[in-house]
Order: sequence, then structure tokens, then C-alpha cells
Amino acid sequence: MADEIRQAVRTHLLEDVLAGEDPSNLTDDMPLRTSGIIDSMGVIRLTGFLEQRFGIRVEAHETGVENTDTVDAIVSFVESKAD
Amino acid sequence: MELSDDIIRLRQEIEDLARDRLAESGVDRDRDGAFWSHGWAACAEGGVLRLPVPEEDGGRGVGLLATIVAMESLGRMVDDLGLLFSINAHLWAGVIPIVRFGTEDQKHRWLPGLLDGSVIAGHGATESEAGSDVFAMRTTARRDGEDWILEGSKSFVANGPVADLLVVYATTDPDLGELGITGFLVPRDTPGLQCSEPLDKMGLRTSQTGAIVLEDCRVPGDAILGRPGGGAACFNCSMEWERGAILAMHVGRMERQLDEAVRFVKERRQFGRPIGSYQSVANRIVDMKMRIETARPLVRRIGMLKDDGRQAMLEAAIAKLHVSEAAVQSSLDAVQVMGSRGYLREGIVERDLRDALGARIYSGTNEMQRVMIARLLGLPSSLPERRPDGSA
Repeated sequence: MADEIRQAVRTHLLEDVLAGEDPSNLTDDMPLRTSGIIDSMGVIRLTGFLEQRFGIRVEAHETGVENTDTVDAIVSFVESKAD
Repeated sequence: MELSDDIIRLRQEIEDLARDRLAESGVDRDRDGAFWSHGWAACAEGGVLRLPVPEEDGGRGVGLLATIVAMESLGRMVDDLGLLFSINAHLWAGVIPIVRFGTEDQKHRWLPGLLDGSVIAGHGATESEAGSDVFAMRTTARRDGEDWILEGSKSFVANGPVADLLVVYATTDPDLGELGITGFLVPRDTPGLQCSEPLDKMGLRTSQTGAIVLEDCRVPGDAILGRPGGGAACFNCSMEWERGAILAMHVGRMERQLDEAVRFVKERRQFGRPIGSYQSVANRIVDMKMRIETARPLVRRIGMLKDDGRQAMLEAAIAKLHVSEAAVQSSLDAVQVMGSRGYLREGIVERDLRDALGARIYSGTNEMQRVMIARLLGLPSSLPERRPDGSA
């Protein structure tokens, strides 16, 4: 399950905020929000994608850095919501 | 869109409230820019302030769609849109953020008063140099032991001059941009907080809007709403709900304008015929009707999405943009078809036009709604893109 989530999140990020970027540059621990790659609008698109793709509901208070700053954090968050 | 029996009953209840306790024209209050405290109390006693709040938090838990339908009714029947604007600012900038992000202690301390109307919430986000670019705010929050020290100023604080509790956003680290924004709950009597007199606005004049100054304003650590750095999520949540519900009052007002305009053009005769028989007049009436029928489902859809636990930022931006523009154009049409009577302050549509123009600006200007819609459709930001190596 984690691998499926990871691949889907990576694909979304590479299409949405890193278009044209070499996929190998997107590492699982790379800061996304604290580096400015994803801003508040990007988070809204990301959570919208996660809700649609994985059938989860993301509350506003769950969209902070702790759940959205890295691919690893996003995967863990989705797994916790799917439990 | 079919409404449930519960929502239809609520709508009837709200219409009864409006008819029994809120049937004052308010022309004098509009001229004087005076807050309608009796109207506020009537709405509080009628349960309006409890509508969207979950039952476990002391509310009626009717959901956002039902609240939107209630706001449509109030917009249709209550002349004083400034009062309704104040209620919306109170609900979406004060009450809902506390419900969604507040601790149990904060809920216990503030919600009873906010829901019974004895405590009015104000919204301190905008600054003179940070309007559309709200996260560029300069108001700072500095840690001092267990406390925080707020320094800065806010402009266009909705409900500021009458607020008992201010929801103030400040940055704990300007270098972090939006990730440094933090919300604080600041009681009006906090030393170091000063509220200005009401600003002299063009419309929504009975809603009190002012400035606040924060000088060495010390608040305890438990005044933080959410967590440090979590203010952007809180603010965006607030705006998402607000953009849906606050525009509902304009949908109701457009319905009222249409009713009055139709009645007027059927009764008013020129050249021996009702003016409604002339195509140039009738076309305006038709356009007014079309705007209502396109605006209403947009705002109700936000309610349906939020009640289903889904995000509605895109839908809220679209509704905000469309409904506010429709409200302005329908007000212009109503003034035009009613001619000199529409131009008089003693009528409703002259005030409607001034009030509607505010809707293009508050809750994010319509220009910013277009920017948001484009971004939410995945179009690139106009700001420099960041790359994985940190370059822009």
C-alpha cells in the first residue's frame, strides 16, 4: 500500500509543482513546503488529489507541515487516514 | 436542488424571525453608520449564531447548506445587510475557527458567549500593506517565556469597534512566509490592544469596521489558535466557509430586488402602458432572474461539499466571484428599472448597490479569486517557481 501511495504522490507532485523536473531529484525526504516548492494553493490541490485518489477526508487542521512537507510525511499521513 | 424537510422547516423559522423581529428599514442606521444591537440580539436569541456549530459544541448542528439557506432568507427579508455581514464575520472568522482549531479550554471559555451573542468576534488579518497578499503581514508575535508579545497593526477589522474577542493573525518568523503565520485569540481588554472608531464606509455601513493597534500586547501561550505556524490553514478554512455563506445573503437580496422590480414595472405606466411591457425594461428583469438561478446553486454546492466533509476552495472562489458580480449588476439593474425611485436613499436598492460593491472586495478581491481559481486549476503561479535544489 505504501508503495502505491508513494508512487501516486510522486506522480502528482512531478506533474503539479515540478513539471519538467528530473524525477530522480524528487527524493522522499526533500522539504516541499518549508522550501517553498508547495505553497498554500499547492497544499489545497495536493489534499484534493489525496481525497479523490484514496477516498479519504482531509481536515483543515491536518494540512500542516507535519503531514505535507515531504513525500515520506504525505505517505505516512495517507496511511494513517486509511487505517 | 431538493431541500430536506428539516431545511425547509428551518427556512420557515428564519422567515418568522425576520418578519417578527427584524422588520426595520434601517435607513437612519445606514446614514449614521450605527450597529444594530437589537437586531444582533434578536438573531442571537433566534439561534442564528448557533446554526453551523456542531451540537457537541453547543450549536444547532444544522450544517452549512442549511445555514446558507437561512442566510438567503435573511438576505431576502432583512433590510440591514450590514448586520448580516457582521453576523457572517463573527461566524466564519471567529466561531468556526475556534470550533475547528480551538482547544477544549478555548471552546469552553469562548463558545458559550459567542453563540449566545454576548461576545462578538472580530477578524484581524488584513494590514494596510497586506491585503490581497495577506501572508505578507508585518504584525509579529515574539515568544517571551510562556507568553507571546504581539506588535503591529491591522486594518479593515470586521466587527473591530464592537468586538469583545479579536482573532488576530501574526507572524512568528517573517522569513517563513505563510508557514510563520499564527492565529491568536485576543480579548478586547488585553493591555496593549487598541481599537479605532468605525471607518466611514461606502456600504455595509451598519457593520462596524475599524483598525486595531497592538503595542507590547502580551497574551498567554494558550491564546494560540491551532499551533504556531498553523495560521494559514486556519485562515484559509475561515475564508472557505465565509465565501460560501456570506454570499448567500446577496442571493436572497437579489431575489428581493427581482420581486420589487417586477412589481414596480407592472404598476408603473408610461406612454399608456406598464413599463414592463417594453423590451428594454423586460430584458433587465430577465437578466436579474438568470443571475439568481445561476448564483443560488453555486453557493448551495459549497454547503453540500462542506457538509460531506470535502474541501470546496475552488467552488468557494467561483461562487464568490460570480455571486458578487451578479449582486452588483442586479443592483444596477434594479436602480435603473425603478428610475428616480431606485435612486432615493429611502428605498432599498440604492443601499443594495453600495452594499454589493463591498462583496467584490471583502473575503478576497475578485481579482484574487481569479488568481486562486487559475492556481487551483493547476496553472503556474506568477511567483518564481522553486526547484528541488532551492533555486527559483
